[in-house]
Amino acid sequence: MNDTGSLVTLAPDSSGPAPTGERWIRFAKPARWIAIAGAVGVLAAPFMAWAYRPDALDDVSFWGEPSPLQWFAFALGLLLLGCLVAPFVIKPRPGRRPRRLLAFNRGAKAAASGSLVYFAVASAAIVLELGGLVALEPGAWAGLAGALVATVATRALPEGHDPRLQFLNTPAWGQILGIVGAVALVLFAAAYGLGQDGASTFVTFGVLCGVGVYVAARVGVMGWLSAAAARNRRALVLAAFAVAFLFPMTQDGSDANMSIAVGVLIFAATAMGLNIVVGLAGLLDLGYIAFLGAGAFTAAILSRSAFATLGWSPPFPVVVLISGTVAAILGLIIGSPTLRVSGDYLAIVTLAFGEIFRITMNNLDGVDGPNLTRGSNGIPAIPDLELFGFDFGESHMILGVQIGRFANYYWLMLLVLALIILVFTNLNHSRIGRGWVAIREDERAAEAMGVNVFGLKLLAFAGGAFLAGIAGAVKAHVDVSVTPDQYIFMESAFLVAGIVLGGMGTVGGVLIGASILKLLPEKLRFFEDYRLLMFGVLLVVMMRFRPEGLMPDERRQLEFHADDDELAEEIGENIEAHVIPSLAGAPEPDLKGDDA
Amino acid sequence: MDLFAQQLVNGLSLGALYALIAVGYTVVYGIVQLINFAHGEVFMVGAFGAYTTWILMGSPSHLSPGFAFGVVMPAMLLGGVVAAVGTALLMERFAYRPLRGAPRLAPLISAIGLSIALQEAVRLFYGRIPGFPDSRRAIPFPVIDGFTGRSWQVAGVTIQYSTAFTLIALLVCTTLLWWFVNRTRMGRAMQATSQDPDTSRLMGINVDRAIATAFAVGAALAAVAGMAHGLRYNNIDFQMGFMAGMKAFTAAVLGGIGNVNGAVVGGLVLGVVEAMATTYIPGQFGSSAWKDVWAFALLILVLVFRPQGLLGAKAVDRA
Amino acid sequence: MTALLSARDVTMKFGGLTAVNQVSLDVAPGEIVGLIGPNGAGKTTFFNCLTGMYQPTSGEVEFDGQLLPPKPRRVAMAGVARTFQNIRLFQNMTALENVMVGRYARTGTNAIDAVFRLPRHRREETETRRIAEEWLDFVGLGEAADLLSRNMPYGDQRRLEIARALALEPKLLLLDEPTAGMNPQETREAEELITRIRGLGMAILVIEHDMRFIFSLCDRVACLVRGAVLIDGAPETVQNDPRVIEAYIGTPVDVAPSADGEGDSDA
Repeated sequence: MNDTGSLVTLAPDSSGPAPTGERWIRFAKPARWIAIAGAVGVLAAPFMAWAYRPDALDDVSFWGEPSPLQWFAFALGLLLLGCLVAPFVIKPRPGRRPRRLLAFNRGAKAAASGSLVYFAVASAAIVLELGGLVALEPGAWAGLAGALVATVATRALPEGHDPRLQFLNTPAWGQILGIVGAVALVLFAAAYGLGQDGASTFVTFGVLCGVGVYVAARVGVMGWLSAAAARNRRALVLAAFAVAFLFPMTQDGSDANMSIAVGVLIFAATAMGLNIVVGLAGLLDLGYIAFLGAGAFTAAILSRSAFATLGWSPPFPVVVLISGTVAAILGLIIGSPTLRVSGDYLAIVTLAFGEIFRITMNNLDGVDGPNLTRGSNGIPAIPDLELFGFDFGESHMILGVQIGRFANYYWLMLLVLALIILVFTNLNHSRIGRGWVAIREDERAAEAMGVNVFGLKLLAFAGGAFLAGIAGAVKAHVDVSVTPDQYIFMESAFLVAGIVLGGMGTVGGVLIGASILKLLPEKLRFFEDYRLLMFGVLLVVMMRFRPEGLMPDERRQLEFHADDDELAEEIGENIEAHVIPSLAGAPEPDLKGDDA
Repeated sequence: MDLFAQQLVNGLSLGALYALIAVGYTVVYGIVQLINFAHGEVFMVGAFGAYTTWILMGSPSHLSPGFAFGVVMPAMLLGGVVAAVGTALLMERFAYRPLRGAPRLAPLISAIGLSIALQEAVRLFYGRIPGFPDSRRAIPFPVIDGFTGRSWQVAGVTIQYSTAFTLIALLVCTTLLWWFVNRTRMGRAMQATSQDPDTSRLMGINVDRAIATAFAVGAALAAVAGMAHGLRYNNIDFQMGFMAGMKAFTAAVLGGIGNVNGAVVGGLVLGVVEAMATTYIPGQFGSSAWKDVWAFALLILVLVFRPQGLLGAKAVDRA
Repeated sequence: MTALLSARDVTMKFGGLTAVNQVSLDVAPGEIVGLIGPNGAGKTTFFNCLTGMYQPTSGEVEFDGQLLPPKPRRVAMAGVARTFQNIRLFQNMTALENVMVGRYARTGTNAIDAVFRLPRHRREETETRRIAEEWLDFVGLGEAADLLSRNMPYGDQRRLEIARALALEPKLLLLDEPTAGMNPQETREAEELITRIRGLGMAILVIEHDMRFIFSLCDRVACLVRGAVLIDGAPETVQNDPRVIEAYIGTPVDVAPSADGEGDSDA
């Protein structure tokens, strides 16, 4: 697959590090030994104290008793050492072509620089929390020095071949096992990360996760994993949902984390709905939050809140449908200018609609307009949901684990998210999805080929809005109150950013992007003041260096790099046709893995 | 009738403010077909630049009119222009220039990011400079004796000095702009670049410089608008750019984006429409709480039904 | 003779410039009609008028007994498919996907079918894929189905565009310079392909500069000069008409700004 390294060099004028590396190649042998020495330093560091007081990170002040974060550093060191030593151990059998499954040199480079980043972040956290460099004990210095030595030394190693692990014949059960393992790892990471109360510990752990993924990608494991995932979509989806479903069980009734998790799900579900509009149909909607708001306000007005203004409260399933429909109608209205407006102008039109929505909700307070929303006060005291006799506000015991209010809503939102993902993927893999791609590629040509351009655009708007409306209906009950200032332009910008960050038009990417965007600020309370600033800077940097997002859709990536023929060749070899394999008449290529 | 005349004056002065900002959108769009979404923030930075200059001058108050009009106000104006132009140039160089040729989405999102980052930077850091006021709240704009709060009465219509300032500033700025675009080498280079950047480059025009100049010119006018805004509303805040920017963009679209005259006409029309809407729309919907809705509705209607604007020519839709 | 396509007095003005001036042209079912003329004569503009991409200033186009509205989609659905002078494939789609898009107007899966994967969706999807593969085979690109169209050689892209148009199952195929930029070998292959398409009973209206191509292939040739039909007749007649020769090489043609879209201005 396309590893990160080669993509970085696609940025307009980044001069890759390759030339300098090549110059030092004659030192490769000694460099390897120096790097091994560095790795030993990294491995030793966890057994020393990093800080002189226990209150930094997760108490790294002991000698010989590593804390979890220190054990993670140890794991990084092992990875580094493994990559460096592997070429000695694994020699091609004489007379046979070397298999070159893993790119150990790349892995070593990544692990070395990753360790450096890890130690740097950990040390910085210690320094900031304990006040000054004096707080650093030998362990931190040893780790930093070891990682630095290894980083510098690994620069002299040759880049080496592309990893070929993804072409390995793996039995189906092996692939599925790999997927389940990876997904379980994600669950563990999420549960562990959310369990960290200290912001610095959380950040350090986050860095570890990033480094881990990076190393795995460079070594070639990610390539194998994504190939396996592509072949076993069903297993992947099942595993992912099982894990997401089990997540509340790991939280031991902690409502704090579950409330964050629900927030993340609502945000992700909304982003996924927007992804239909932006990622599939290619229409930038800067007022999308209005649909979530429309759903939320509708549900609030139809709820049994004492402040509801209509005095009619049908059962929730009906409310959900009404909320979705109201949002969809708004979507049709907002989408109708697409008949005549496109591109930047459309983005501005949607932005203007979003603002009109917010101001209108503010004004329907009985003074400046009819009283529907109670203006800026909004509608508070929305009671908890009751579905089929199940009260979402109450705690339940399931398998000996306390499941609180937010966990209940978490599961409900998970269902909504699943629905949205289902709609997204099934539309994408159909005639309609193909039509959207065609519109994105060349609208006039698509129309000349008989594609119903306007209809498909409207469908994207209305469909996306409907789904957001449903999410909004749930959100109203989760949040207890609905006010217009929850639905400002900034929220729309956040949604767009979540999509762009992860990778437009993808499911996994957008889920990850949305989670990062929503989770980080929740966990980094100390950081709150700088949140928006960083967000703005992130958008600018992102557009500059990786406009296609962290996990780009391959086609989208090509659209962002229209002049890059090399990339086109590379992706062209991998791209799958826009059809569902199982429907294509071909024998199901799943579970075989024989496409080496 | 008096009410009408008064609202007309109010609308014109508000519109002049929009027009000054709108020119920035239009000049930049004309040359690189980019909606500089962060232009509203340039306007905000201009206002803060003017205010900063006043503080750096030692917060002079109780001035003689001569000193106020001859020294303090020009200095503030200059300070605002420097701050705004600097911001715009940095923005162009580091955020927009690398994205030329990228899909349209990229610069637009980058612009949104810039807009947020600039607002936040001002909110977070401006007030931390010793001697500067807390920028998280609205900052009262300096009171200039013999100017602030003064007005003329003409035939029953009140004309604030700040109103006159805005209108005169618009007149002067657009005249200068016209001269610059049509009578200078750089102006011609800009025109050529907007027609065809590649050919212009072949003809030896420094296209990068022409584009940067367009950003600078727009920023300078926005800074003047920032100053005018401060004088008119007597306070400035870090969020003032968002709504003003949206309105100005509406004005630019209304007049026909890419067309400087259009931006001026569009701004004035929008200002007058807004002023009249709050006066003449009956019932609850005539309250000022709805005026932004009417402005945005106007924006949408224009984009849908006359995207080329009031003064723009209809472009041939090419297959 | 009942015409399949019948353009009557089609006029297209851009501001003061009359790009197409009262052009009338008939195409009978199964007929191959060539449209020739010097650069800037308005051929592509006329195509755009036929396919609804431009709304003619005046005049009307009748197809299969019905007036064609100036809506490209409606024209396509009525059974008129086209290719473009400057290839307009969906660059980042595979060859197969490109052709499958061509099936759009002939399939009816709606959002509900797709979301719930109802039988109709499955059936149509399989069918669409099969037909698309057949058309790819027909134009000789069966092996290239999974290539990104942007990665394909130029000649293949032209053929792919034709396959995409054929997938629409049109009654009339409009080809805009199908051999432009091709080498002699590729040109021969294109000729052969068009002959085979005619074998399917489709009518073809083709713009072409390659005279050998036109006169060996077409049943009838119309020559457009400065937006007006100069002559419309059998190939031999047109070939020997002094006015046609003059239009091409005789008196220099005005280098008036071409109103032909990205039109006829290339050499």
